[in-house]
Amino acid sequence: MSDVSSIISATNLNKTYHLGEVKVCALQDVSLDINAGDFVVITGRNGAGKSTLMHNLAVLDRPDSGEIIINGNDVTKMTKEQRTELRLRHLGYIFQEYALIAELSALENVMLPAMMLGPTRVARAKAQQLLMTFGLQHHMDHLPSQLSGGQQQKLAIARALINDPVLLFADEPTANLDSVAAHEVLEIFQRLNNDGGHTIVMVTHEPEETAYANRLVQLVDGRIVSDERRRA
Amino acid sequence: MKRHEAKIPFFLIWRFTTRSNKWTLGLTIFLMGVAFINLVFMTSLFNGIIEGSNDQIINTYVGNVEIGPSDHLDTITHASDVAAIARRTDTVTGVSAQMEVPATMKFGTIELSRSVVAVDPDQETMVTNMSKHMVEGSYLQKDDTDGIMIGIQLAGGPDVELNMSSLKGVHAGDNVQLTAGAVTKEFTVRGIYNTKFMNGDSRAFITQQALATLMPSLNDQATIIIVKTEKKDDERKVIDALKINGVTGTFTTWVDYAGVMKSVTKSFLSINVLMSFVAIMIAAITIFIVIYIDITDKRRQIGILRAIGIKPWIIRMAYVLQSAVYSFFGVLIGTGLFFGVIVPYFVAHPFALPIADVTLIIDPADFIIRAESIMLVALVSGLIPAIFVTRMKILNAILGK
Repeated sequence: MSDVSSIISATNLNKTYHLGEVKVCALQDVSLDINAGDFVVITGRNGAGKSTLMHNLAVLDRPDSGEIIINGNDVTKMTKEQRTELRLRHLGYIFQEYALIAELSALENVMLPAMMLGPTRVARAKAQQLLMTFGLQHHMDHLPSQLSGGQQQKLAIARALINDPVLLFADEPTANLDSVAAHEVLEIFQRLNNDGGHTIVMVTHEPEETAYANRLVQLVDGRIVSDERRRA
Repeated sequence: MKRHEAKIPFFLIWRFTTRSNKWTLGLTIFLMGVAFINLVFMTSLFNGIIEGSNDQIINTYVGNVEIGPSDHLDTITHASDVAAIARRTDTVTGVSAQMEVPATMKFGTIELSRSVVAVDPDQETMVTNMSKHMVEGSYLQKDDTDGIMIGIQLAGGPDVELNMSSLKGVHAGDNVQLTAGAVTKEFTVRGIYNTKFMNGDSRAFITQQALATLMPSLNDQATIIIVKTEKKDDERKVIDALKINGVTGTFTTWVDYAGVMKSVTKSFLSINVLMSFVAIMIAAITIFIVIYIDITDKRRQIGILRAIGIKPWIIRMAYVLQSAVYSFFGVLIGTGLFFGVIVPYFVAHPFALPIADVTLIIDPADFIIRAESIMLVALVSGLIPAIFVTRMKILNAILGK
């Protein structure tokens, strides 16, 4: 299944959760290639396995079996340390509930991953630039609790971008936002994909949000039932 | 560890500490302080009891060093010369020659065989502190030839522990009949003292001038000469100096008189070790629970940090540092409360124990060890839950599973 142009190549992924004595097959022989520049939306009903698939692709969880190749490296065989390094340098995350550090200011939240890789002043400058890009230049010293939901999600996007990742993962990023803020966030994703060439994998419930993607993957009961490329 | 990573734990801990809920932070640090006080209080109380009883032996009975007559003699002759040599010795702050004579004491129908000690009252105050513990009447005057000073346990009374073997209720101003050798004489009780040290409080004192009226042949003789030094531990040095200066006789120190108190002290030391262990365990469990709750409360945050690529050791280090900050300030606050409030309170209102009025005494080295123990316990208490949370699955940490 692996394709040389794929940025991610997942083959025969299986994942089963054990809820007491009940086994839930969240992923069943899922194979998926994602190419550089794709904006992939994964949809499905609750329990279809879309978040599980994304978490496995995003190196936040390990499949029970199968392999995931990211940039030519099998991440399922990597050590914890290698996976941490991969997440830091090459992957960006946007979670449903913003997942910001409450005690850090907007600027500090964004600059933190970059501080792992270089001098603080460089990280700060880069974070300031990103916050300006997202219109948050007047909120740099604010704590997350002092920002609106939309502003917090923009902050999370800025943090995800700080180390120039090759892949962005977004897990229902608009679920807690009003329609205006949700639209803004999706526009940002589209811009990042179209103008910045970022590869984005997004999980969503909302049918109207699939319009922003160029590829739609639909899951039912842990299997991919459709994989549709929508435009070039 | 890469160069830039080392700063992250400090960056995180500074922000976590300065921007966390101030009440929670204050309460956590206060709890650490209380745990530290608990650890220090018991040992300082035991130290106070041990020191108190030792001080009682020194200050009410035998001083630091006791010079006795040579083995073949009953008394020290030329006692004033020996006392003068002792007074000239380094670190000696007081010397008193005591002549103890067997006597019969009669008060009303009660007759007791007791020794009476003849002293120079002025010199005696330089060694013992009976003059500061007068509960009735006044201390002896140097030229008093028919006055006697009696300890509370000999004077007796309904509330006195040794009332059965006492004069059963003598008061200042009463007359007692004293027979020493072949001479019997009426003495007026000038005062009654209560040092709370039973051995000391079972004695009776008269002046050397008074003894001269009873037994003139004992002039300038002493059964013992007691010596007070600037501090404990000077005893050996003083004894050596006295020997060099030609003082002969037997030399004993207050430690030899500790007697029963030695075994009490030994028991206290054993109890102290046990109580310290229990206090450390209580402190450890308290601190562990406080930090465990704190870290568990931040499980999602730790999951997020891991998800964005912050290495587990950095997260652990941040929480260990946080524990270090908690415990450091806890120890500071505990120290402040202990020395600023608790110790002064017990100096003003000592524990009234049967052997002495006891205050809190802490050995500086012991204090430092206990402070270090609290900090060590806090570091381990921070590290264990941090390891636990950083080993959890990232998603479980973030989703609170």
